[in-house]
Amino acid sequence: MKVTFQIWRQDGPTDKGRLKDYEVDGLTEDMSFLEALDHLNELLVLKNEKVIAYEYDCREGICGQCGIFINGRAHGPHANMTTCQLHMRSFNDGDTIVVEPWRAQAFPVVKDLIVDRSALDRIIEQGGYISAKTGTAPEANSIPIGKDVADKAMDAAACIGCGACVATCKNASAALFTSAKINHLNSLPQGKPEQHRRVLEMTKQMAYEGFGHCTFTGACEVECPEGISIVNIAELNARILKARLLG
Amino acid sequence: MFLRKSIIATSGLFLCLFLIVHLSANFILLLPEEVAREAYNGYSTTLRESPVIKVVAYALYASIFFHVLYGIIVTYKNRKAKPHRYVVNRSQENSTWTSQNMGLIGMFILLFIVVHLANFWARVKLGIGAPVGLDSAGNVDVYEVTYSLFQNIYFVLFYTLLMIPLGWHLDHGLKSAFKTLGFYHKKGLAVVSKISLIYATIMSVGFGIIPLVVYFK
Ligand code: SF4
Ligand code: FES
Repeated sequence: MKVTFQIWRQDGPTDKGRLKDYEVDGLTEDMSFLEALDHLNELLVLKNEKVIAYEYDCREGICGQCGIFINGRAHGPHANMTTCQLHMRSFNDGDTIVVEPWRAQAFPVVKDLIVDRSALDRIIEQGGYISAKTGTAPEANSIPIGKDVADKAMDAAACIGCGACVATCKNASAALFTSAKINHLNSLPQGKPEQHRRVLEMTKQMAYEGFGHCTFTGACEVECPEGISIVNIAELNARILKARLLG
Repeated sequence: MFLRKSIIATSGLFLCLFLIVHLSANFILLLPEEVAREAYNGYSTTLRESPVIKVVAYALYASIFFHVLYGIIVTYKNRKAKPHRYVVNRSQENSTWTSQNMGLIGMFILLFIVVHLANFWARVKLGIGAPVGLDSAGNVDVYEVTYSLFQNIYFVLFYTLLMIPLGWHLDHGLKSAFKTLGFYHKKGLAVVSKISLIYATIMSVGFGIIPLVVYFK
């Protein structure tokens, strides 16, 4: 299989950056997208050229490191999938594949396809934790939680912080991420003591980091590899209203 | 952030309610000429003289003003949050064109409102342009203003065609307003989404056919 990659090359945060063409032969359909990039990098090493910088860690869809914008979609052409789970069989022989880094004011490019997503970490720092002493794992049934509540919290907790929601959003809004983190903790008894403060502080940080306003295009929930529902954002809005009124 | 979006949502919802009343009254225009003229002029005179309507009118101006103002602020800030565009972006695969372009669509509607106010509000209330006569019942003949305007095919096309972006804007706007204001019941939102589409279709088609009907009357 042979494809042409058009890959964003940028030496550093201040470099202007540009798309560069790479014709790559010898790929197979069974290769993951990242393996295809690995293959290309090996060829570049042999040619004594600078390798392409991109991020990954687990390569099994759970760490959220591998965010890349591929052919106009966050994490490539499929809905609800990480880049590491994308395979070359999703493309055709002879395709041109445009590969760009996540774009957002709050995600400055570090190098090539790597962006700095620490803005998301700083949102977490403002309240994405609980203050209860945890110690060793408690007996599972000591705090009874209904299944519907547990399911909902678990669904929200599935967010892996990949940033695809921000990347795909025309407003670079981090509302899906932030709402997932807040709804996860606020719907459980362990998260109740600081629930209002969490809502106010985390959303304040979200604005401070330069993320945009959510206008409900719905693109985020399509691209989110964990299928976090956009209803989370509506619920966050209800929580903001409540937190503002109740302090 | 939340405050700005809530202002857009609340003012938008108020404008949605207003459109229902506005369209209901405009359906009078579909009646045969003899009945329509008297009924329409009587209705608009009642409105103009009612103190309640005066308050509502100011709420209406305020809603339009803040809806546009915060629409511009939010659009500006959102653009700043996304300074680099993608070279290739297939947003049509994950969202509707309407939801991606509410600002642009809104500008068409604003253009419409300006022209519409110049045609009616400026003539009837401010007395700018050709003076408006009285009908046989002694009411200001707003019907005549409407009727003569829609003898001009360009105005008919303008009024009819611009109801298409209005429909798009209302469809996305109505369902989004609910989410912005914190309505998060999952099944409820599915219903809201259907209602938005039905509402937007009725408004768009309803307002859109009136100029055509008057033209061909
Ligand atoms: S909400 Fe989804 S898309 Fe956004 S960071 Fe979390 S996992 Fe990624
Ligand atoms: S590398 Fe961990 S999710 Fe893709």
